[in-house]
Amino acid sequence: MIEGFLSLVVTGALISAVYALIAIGFTMIFGVGGILNLAHGALIMIGAYAYLVVTSTSTFAAVSVPPILGLVVAVVAAAAASLILYKGLVQYIEEDVIITFLATVVVAVIAAEIMTLAFSPNPRSLTPVVPGSISLPAVGLRIRFIEIAGFAISWVVIGALWYYVTRTDAGRSILATSMTRRGAKLTGVNISSVSTQTWLIAGGLAGLAGVFLGTLQETAPLMWLDPLALAFIIVVIGGIGSIKGSLVAAYLIGFLETFTVGVLGPEFRGVFSLVVVAAVILVRPEGLYGREFIDE
Amino acid sequence: MSNVMDRVNSTLGDRYADMNRLQFGLLAVALIALIIAPVWGGSYLRVLALGNIFAIFAMGWDIQSGYTGYISFGHAVLSGAAAYTSALILTHIAPDISVWAILPVAVLMSVIVGLLLAVPTLRLRGPYFSLITLVAGLLFYRGTRTASQYTGGEQGLLVGRLTFDPVLRFYITLVPMLLIAAALLYLSRSNIGTILIAIRENEAAVESAGIDATKFKIWSFVLSSIPMGIGGFLFAHFDGTVNPTDVVLIDRSVEMIAMAVMGGMGSILGPIAGAFLFVGLRDGILPAFLSGTERWLALWVVVLFVIVFARDGLFRKLWHRLGDDTEGDSE
Repeated sequence: MIEGFLSLVVTGALISAVYALIAIGFTMIFGVGGILNLAHGALIMIGAYAYLVVTSTSTFAAVSVPPILGLVVAVVAAAAASLILYKGLVQYIEEDVIITFLATVVVAVIAAEIMTLAFSPNPRSLTPVVPGSISLPAVGLRIRFIEIAGFAISWVVIGALWYYVTRTDAGRSILATSMTRRGAKLTGVNISSVSTQTWLIAGGLAGLAGVFLGTLQETAPLMWLDPLALAFIIVVIGGIGSIKGSLVAAYLIGFLETFTVGVLGPEFRGVFSLVVVAAVILVRPEGLYGREFIDE
Repeated sequence: MSNVMDRVNSTLGDRYADMNRLQFGLLAVALIALIIAPVWGGSYLRVLALGNIFAIFAMGWDIQSGYTGYISFGHAVLSGAAAYTSALILTHIAPDISVWAILPVAVLMSVIVGLLLAVPTLRLRGPYFSLITLVAGLLFYRGTRTASQYTGGEQGLLVGRLTFDPVLRFYITLVPMLLIAAALLYLSRSNIGTILIAIRENEAAVESAGIDATKFKIWSFVLSSIPMGIGGFLFAHFDGTVNPTDVVLIDRSVEMIAMAVMGGMGSILGPIAGAFLFVGLRDGILPAFLSGTERWLALWVVVLFVIVFARDGLFRKLWHRLGDDTEGDSE
């Protein structure tokens, strides 16, 4: 019993780290531009498939790079896709919230169809970035190295991001813009460059998360949906636009899901998250660390 | 003819601009074409009948999301609730019951599910409502697999058709569609519709006028659930199978949105046109050139272009073009 508990704690912590990567990107985009990017899940999927293409010989027999380089490719590909999405589509429609909502969800569906066309609808498995696993029979634990790598990389990246947005001028302009767009503009912040940076960062985080999620779960054309719902749930609980809130809520939801699945079975996945979200919405609609919505 | 037009204008048009001859002619031709569709439809009658059902869905989405601006990503949950209610009753509870007797139960279930989603979330502004509807769609989809000993999982349930006569089947879908269209057009042109639009445009102003916006948002959801329930029931018995992919997958919800937006959301008539355009492309025109995934890809790309470049909707564009041409004439 105690061993099972311990293994759930470890699994929960490791998957939560990946959820945090997803949610932070999603919330930054909302914070800076007021945009709910429903194609965020598609960026995760692009990261996973980019990794698949360059690390496995199944797509192009000649291309097979080491996994760690594949991780870099995945991050770059998702960041580029994110920027293209913003520069090519979202920036022209962002003033209309409803149209942005609809257009991004259609983009996600289109991305899923492209992946189905290119890679078939069947789930694929990814070569782990770090192969192997460690067994601790004394406490009945088996941890895959990929999980540890995901946890460590997540914290390093989030730490770097925290340093960037609180300690450097370029990063602080992102924070300023998400606090008040008009104020940031008046103090000389280049809004356009802030948006570009934010979309690049969010895309990169999504690509990174995609590789880990695609390895731990599966890489399939429908994989955009669950992470998107998770990101949405986490961000509402943490407070829309708050990076700290997303981090805390990612762990809350990660543990909740792991324990639900571990104790009650996989068919209950998502149910309790929904209950928590409903409770948060009713009791504290601005989320744990969120601000009230301000009318633009 | 112009006599009829004047009477329609006087019943509908006290708050809205009168229809001119061209606009009225367009509606009349479309209506007559639909009524006599079995004469000219041929092998496309099935597509037209599906168009009727999806027009019901698109209007159902429109009266709630299109009018109030609270975008639902899970309307397939409402139609799915009705479809699965019907299927489960027929499979497990009362196999011999007349199918039509289930219709009220199915619609009621759709309203109940709708209220469960709407009551907690519609009190708040912002994206919460969209989130809950999106997650509800995912849970429903997953639930059909989890409870596969009852729902038949991925294969779904065989529920039988309402009729095997294609002409009769067309009219079984056409009549509810026209009745729902008439009812929703009437409601949307009444005070209720005006308040719903006002909520979309400026909710604070609605509240400060002493109107309880939440109450009207929840009412719009009920108004939406009823057609969704009827449509879901018709859809379940159209091909006679109820399975998660055809009924509750998130793509179905996005399709309803796409139809309404392509036609022009917040207009009831637009979503009908959008539904026929979408279903026509999906099941009538594109299958002749493309198969499977390519067809979906082409369809979604078309939808994206319409959303971005004609965000008010194609039908609304056409409607206003017709209105402009003879501005002096309509006075």
